[in-house]
Amino acid sequence: MSLTVIGVRHHSPACARLVGSTIAALRPAFVLIEGPADMNERIGEMLLGHELPVAIFTSYLDDRRRHGSWAPFCEYSPEWEALRAGSESGAQLRFIDLPAWHEAFADRDNRYADAELRYAEAVERLCAEFGVDNSDALWDHVIEMCPADGVSDRLSAYFDVIRGESAAGEPDTAREAYMARWIRAARAEAGDRPVVVVVGGFHRPALLRLVAEPSSGGLADAPAGASGWPEIPQPPAEATAGSYLVPYSFRRLDAFGGYQSGMPSPEYYQRLWESGPEEAARHLVTAVAGRLRKRGQPVSTADLIAARTAAEALARLRGHTHPARVDVLDGLAGALVNEALDVPLPWAVRGVVTAGQHPAVVEMTAALSGERVGRLHPDTPLPPLVHSATIELERHGLDRAGEPTVDLTDPRDRAVSRILHRVRVLDIPGFRRDSGPATGIDPVLREQWTVRRHEHRLAALIEAGGYGPTLEAAAAARIAQRIGGAGGDLGALADALFDAALCGFTDLGSDVPGRLERGVATATDLPVLGRVLAVTLALWRHDRLLGTAGSAALGVVVAAASRRILWLAEGWHAPGAPADRARIAAVVAVRDAVVHAAGVGVDRTSAVEVAGRIAADRAAPPDLRGAFFGLGRSLLDETAPPGLFPDPAQAVRGAFAGGTAGDWLSGLFAVAREPVLAPAGILTLLDDLIGGLGADDFLFALPALRQAFTYFPPRERETIGERLLARRGLGGSGRDLLRVTVGAETVAAGMALDEMIEQRLASAGLISAEESG
Amino acid sequence: MTATATPAATPSQVQRPPAEVRHADELARLRAADDAPTPPGWALSLRAARAFIVGDEELCVSRKFVGDPSLIDRALVSLATSRGLLLVGEPGTAKSLLSELLAAAVSGDSTLTIQGGAATTEDQIKYSWNYALLVAEGPTERSLVPAPLLRGMAHGKAVRFEEITRCPLEVQDCLLSPLSDRVLAVPELPGDAGMVFAREGFNIIATANTRDRGVNDMSSALKRRFNFETVFPIADFDTELALVEAEAGALLRRSGVTAPPRRDVLEVLVTAFRELRAGRTARGDEMERLSSVMSTAEAVSVAHAVGLRGWFLRGAAGTTTDLVSCLAGTAAKDSPEDLAKLRRYLERQTAWRTGPQWRELRDARRELPGG
Repeated sequence: MSLTVIGVRHHSPACARLVGSTIAALRPAFVLIEGPADMNERIGEMLLGHELPVAIFTSYLDDRRRHGSWAPFCEYSPEWEALRAGSESGAQLRFIDLPAWHEAFADRDNRYADAELRYAEAVERLCAEFGVDNSDALWDHVIEMCPADGVSDRLSAYFDVIRGESAAGEPDTAREAYMARWIRAARAEAGDRPVVVVVGGFHRPALLRLVAEPSSGGLADAPAGASGWPEIPQPPAEATAGSYLVPYSFRRLDAFGGYQSGMPSPEYYQRLWESGPEEAARHLVTAVAGRLRKRGQPVSTADLIAARTAAEALARLRGHTHPARVDVLDGLAGALVNEALDVPLPWAVRGVVTAGQHPAVVEMTAALSGERVGRLHPDTPLPPLVHSATIELERHGLDRAGEPTVDLTDPRDRAVSRILHRVRVLDIPGFRRDSGPATGIDPVLREQWTVRRHEHRLAALIEAGGYGPTLEAAAAARIAQRIGGAGGDLGALADALFDAALCGFTDLGSDVPGRLERGVATATDLPVLGRVLAVTLALWRHDRLLGTAGSAALGVVVAAASRRILWLAEGWHAPGAPADRARIAAVVAVRDAVVHAAGVGVDRTSAVEVAGRIAADRAAPPDLRGAFFGLGRSLLDETAPPGLFPDPAQAVRGAFAGGTAGDWLSGLFAVAREPVLAPAGILTLLDDLIGGLGADDFLFALPALRQAFTYFPPRERETIGERLLARRGLGGSGRDLLRVTVGAETVAAGMALDEMIEQRLASAGLISAEESG
Repeated sequence: MTATATPAATPSQVQRPPAEVRHADELARLRAADDAPTPPGWALSLRAARAFIVGDEELCVSRKFVGDPSLIDRALVSLATSRGLLLVGEPGTAKSLLSELLAAAVSGDSTLTIQGGAATTEDQIKYSWNYALLVAEGPTERSLVPAPLLRGMAHGKAVRFEEITRCPLEVQDCLLSPLSDRVLAVPELPGDAGMVFAREGFNIIATANTRDRGVNDMSSALKRRFNFETVFPIADFDTELALVEAEAGALLRRSGVTAPPRRDVLEVLVTAFRELRAGRTARGDEMERLSSVMSTAEAVSVAHAVGLRGWFLRGAAGTTTDLVSCLAGTAAKDSPEDLAKLRRYLERQTAWRTGPQWRELRDARRELPGG
């Protein structure tokens, strides 16, 4: 009975070659592979004959977290080669790692990330020792570029140094204990026949140690299943977890960053796997030159010769028999970049391409990445969402490229719009709305969409399958999740609600109203709240088009936002602050909510009480005081206790001080204009008060006064003008009074001249001081 | 070796001997152990030259440049091919040091140096005449006074051209034919002597900084004849701190200061320099970058000044208060905007950090002029 544990780096051609040759030579009974054990029953799916790269996507959803993670495979992945060679030699294949939804992977998106990056110190030491820039260059130098017969020993030595004496983290320990149980079970089952294990090299030393240990106690010896194999962990009852194969692409494979990243440059390593280092290097140079020339960047033959020479020379200097990845890249950079760089070369610092890279460098990294896209075999099982979504899209002719226009007033078009919005909400690429209503109160009734085929559409649909079996269910779950995650961010909350309306959801599940209420209750921005309340109220009252009129979820928002605005406004202390239209608009929205939405729990009595307190609060901003005075007056019915709100005339006299009159009036006029226009209103009083202002005071108050009077529509302003003329016994129309034919500067200069003349007359004793006013 | 290397007999009296004298023993060890093929005209093989710069523990060769090793690889390969090497980067990123080390490794001689400037003429680059002899004998090889380029070509050595972009464009372009045809015409001399063909081993190592006058003005004909290598500020905090500590310590010892620089003061110094250089603090606050150069070299000179101040004023190591006084001179120089930025940095970005040295730094901000 022999056990061979091959410690590999995921996505390494050299390791894949070693795995292939080892399995072919040993013809083992079992090939155990680091991969999700919950896929074991469906391991046949892997071998249907897909075009690589593909990945196992695992989704997990419970009320606490949603997690999606990938285990990508390409042709040169050692794990893939193990599956292929293992099935060819008739071995039994098993994945032996914990499922991807397990807590050990809670912070991982990529199962096949480089484990050693989490233990960086040893890597740094090795890089310094070999005089290379980073772990990728180190790997090429030590493993990929050396002859095949020494790879096994070098791998062991490499990972022994990296693992060293350092203790692995808790997730790694749990995984290693689980994998060790599988290995032990396989050895027992295999009898005399060999067992081959393919795991990340980082785990190999620990696994060898664990397997050699006499089995006693600990997690590693938790009760095994009936057959002797370890049990496969089941997700908690309240959670849904599922794994499906998804088509993958080299671009996505290369896009993992930081701790999630694996081997970079898939296209290069694919070539290395297919046709060796010389061909890979040649391909890289050709691809880069081709790409640059296509973009109109000059690449001369002399440059290519220089790049080639430099790559060869660098390879020799660094002791490679053929130019390695970095040799080629360094050669190209030397030949093609002839200016100062703004940021270091991406392969020197090991990172994704950042902004400010030289165009030649961008093309180089793109050429390394490649554009290969995987395709699943048609028989591959797909999550139900894929089928139902495909059928729905086909039924409405949305499965092909086009630019559909929908008229929201047409019920059939509305159904199309809802499907498109549901697909959009699920982030399926290739569906873009170019125009359409942006809020519930836009007078826009048409939507213009662009539908494109996209290479990632199927992958995105499979990944969205974790949300639910149909477009409707999945989009609703996605929106509910957004509402839950929005916290106090009202903008996000409003977007989510509007998306719900567009998708045609009036009921998002029983816990959504509670979440909405909590979200609104933690908001802190009064103007934003006001806007949200105004829009939601309009949607709730009027919108029969999107079907949101009377929706319970919106009703909750209306009530919660009204309450929150009253609460925030009462705590706002800023005496003398200038009027703010957005703040005043929030009070207007509350007024509308109280008047129209009493049915959803907007409390009239408490609104009136709060309004009374704010109107009387000297520390409150004057515009809010005015607005709440107006709110209280307009809501007050005959049954209210007297004295809560003074007579408008009295209140106006009280507010007409300290240069805040205009601000106070702005608030009042925005909420209630009747006191001015009513026959026995305050217009006379206002006229007297404004007429009594000194020239300086008037100029000071003017901007705020002007702003206050803009709340009157032109017809009402005309009425005010006519009354003022009548009061002075003058003829003419009020409309003429509103049309000033000279500029404001001229009027101001005239007023200044009047003032000066009066002062001179007064000082000369020609008029009395009272007359000069 | 050229005549300039003779002061090696008494290197202690020379302020700064050239690299091949400073590290003569290391070069000798590398040469003795060198079994790799050597490019024609080179003093060392590529691998030994690389080891001279990035260090080799077995041969007790120190690491002299802390940037990416791949940069050294590319630079050496450029020099071994038919293109010149142009090192570009922010001021103070050790470009000149690197060019000196490269020249010492490749040719065993780093003294063939042209200092570029607005007043640099072709005479200073190629050759000029001894006018007394010229009048007496006419143009002969005896009356010819070779400048670094001619000497480098005639003897097959690396020629260093510092701050090449500060020269007028037409002067820069006199490098075109030496770089592409590897020949320099001296039309005044008759016969064969009128053409000086470059011997193996000749190449040009130029440096240019991106601050004063970038490489954009350079003619594209000349650009094409150079391989560009951008030298970046040190990416890693610990490496930079270690370098500043070592360099400042050495400078202080040479100045007769026996107290080594305080580690906590250096940490504050290097942190502040890195943050002011990048315009971003360690925890990610965006802030204004200083317009003056905040290089590692400047950090070393500030650390040196801090040490001198502490030692000669109080007989102890420099403190954070000394640091603030010295920062005003280097970081802010004569720019009132930079001074204001520095003051804002000391006010806002020191309070949230832990450690007594940061508190001291904050308290010491009044040491800034006008503070």
